[in-house]
Amino acid sequence: MKKWHLKFRNLMVNYLALPSDILLELPRLTIIGNFHLYIENHKGLETYSETELKLKTTNGYVQILGTSFVLKQMLPEEILLEGEIEEIKYIPSSL
Amino acid sequence: MKSVKGSYLSGVVEIQVTGDHPEQFLQQCARNGIMLWEIKKVHVNQCTASVLLKDVKEIRKLRRGSKFKIHFLNKHGLPFFKKRVGRKKPLLIGLLLSLLLFFILSNMVWQVTVTGVPEELENKIKEQLTSYGVYPGAFTFSIESPNQIQQLLLEDVPELLWIGVDKKGTSFYLEGVEKLIIEKEEPAGPRHLVAGKSGVIQYMYVKKGMPEVTVNDVVEKGDVLVSGAIEKLNIIDEEEDKQEFELVAADGEIIATTWYKAEVNVPLTAEHVELTGNTNEKYRIKFGSLSIPIWPLTRFEHFEHELIETDEYQLDIFGWRPPIYFTAEKRLESTPWYSERTREEAIQTGIRQAKNDLQRRLGKDAEIITEKVLHETIRHGKVKLSLYITVEENIAVEQPINQGD
Repeated sequence: MKKWHLKFRNLMVNYLALPSDILLELPRLTIIGNFHLYIENHKGLETYSETELKLKTTNGYVQILGTSFVLKQMLPEEILLEGEIEEIKYIPSSL
Repeated sequence: MKSVKGSYLSGVVEIQVTGDHPEQFLQQCARNGIMLWEIKKVHVNQCTASVLLKDVKEIRKLRRGSKFKIHFLNKHGLPFFKKRVGRKKPLLIGLLLSLLLFFILSNMVWQVTVTGVPEELENKIKEQLTSYGVYPGAFTFSIESPNQIQQLLLEDVPELLWIGVDKKGTSFYLEGVEKLIIEKEEPAGPRHLVAGKSGVIQYMYVKKGMPEVTVNDVVEKGDVLVSGAIEKLNIIDEEEDKQEFELVAADGEIIATTWYKAEVNVPLTAEHVELTGNTNEKYRIKFGSLSIPIWPLTRFEHFEHELIETDEYQLDIFGWRPPIYFTAEKRLESTPWYSERTREEAIQTGIRQAKNDLQRRLGKDAEIITEKVLHETIRHGKVKLSLYITVEENIAVEQPINQGD
């Protein structure tokens, strides 16, 4: 049932050119250089420290590594991160 | 903080969250619709963040029952500013009072200046102005417009030909032109002109009357020079053998040479005073007879030779004059020096002095012609001079003619 749902959504994205982040409920990451990162549509903050930010998404985690992290703004589903970004990692949820 | 618009108006609170995984608490806040910004992880179990003042209540609610601790660090924004100012009431009252004072003072008349008219009229104009409410210290609210004041003044002060009234800020400038009322001379009664002094007549200029003397006549004091009684021609009263006279006011100028004797003493040594330029000033406040020095407080140095200038001002508060005076005493150091004069110089000085004295006594119409030294003696360092001075002057004096009796 769920797989059928996903297939339909993929079709919509491919043939109707609709934004994938909305339809697939995936996070949208906008990065400016290596110092600003704008994350929308996340599902919650897992860990945050000066060097690491880990966010929940629908199918796993997004891990951002770097130094001198500051969360410039935090809204229910958006985060603006400032700092020196070194790595962005996608960690699939261990099912 | 700056990135959030309008946060200053609603107030910003910086919070510190302490506990295990403090970001979890912030996450919880964000999920509840609380806006957070400037989140920093200070320590492993400590975070700081900025929130709006209106969200503080909500944060407290969320904290209840959780294992986190919250401290409020800093407060910015208008609501806190208001509170702070509210606590400083005296300052606020002072500010208001100063504004009020400024308003009152700038709406007062500070100066009334009247120009272009004699002092007597100036005082009259000022008196009138006071009755209209225009005087130093009056409020400008109640004063009429300059045009109306002008109109009123022209009506109430008949001596004024024109007056300009100009209001500049807190000052009134009035410029007046006086009406010149030329009084007609009263017709003089019948009179003679007699000699006021003895002398030799040089020339005569008779406007009215019958001349009794001619040029080069020697006249004594009291002699009639120009008669005011003119013989009427052809009307001769034969019975009483008397002539009819027409009485007029004799008028004219009789210039005669007169002589004066003068005696002057001129010392051979003259004393002059010269200022050295060194001054000493002292200011005092005087209440009645009590005098308090203000500056300098130390004892006053006196010069060996000095001239003293003293200025005294009375305290004046809008016409109210309490008996408090401010005096400035200025001492100017001077050095006297003496100069020797020769006999010749002393005589010249004496002559000049005598001539000046005489000129002053006779008025500027008299003209000194010659002077002669009759006698001179030197005694006790002084030259004593006897002078003989010839003057040309008008010797005519009016003398009324008695009528009726």
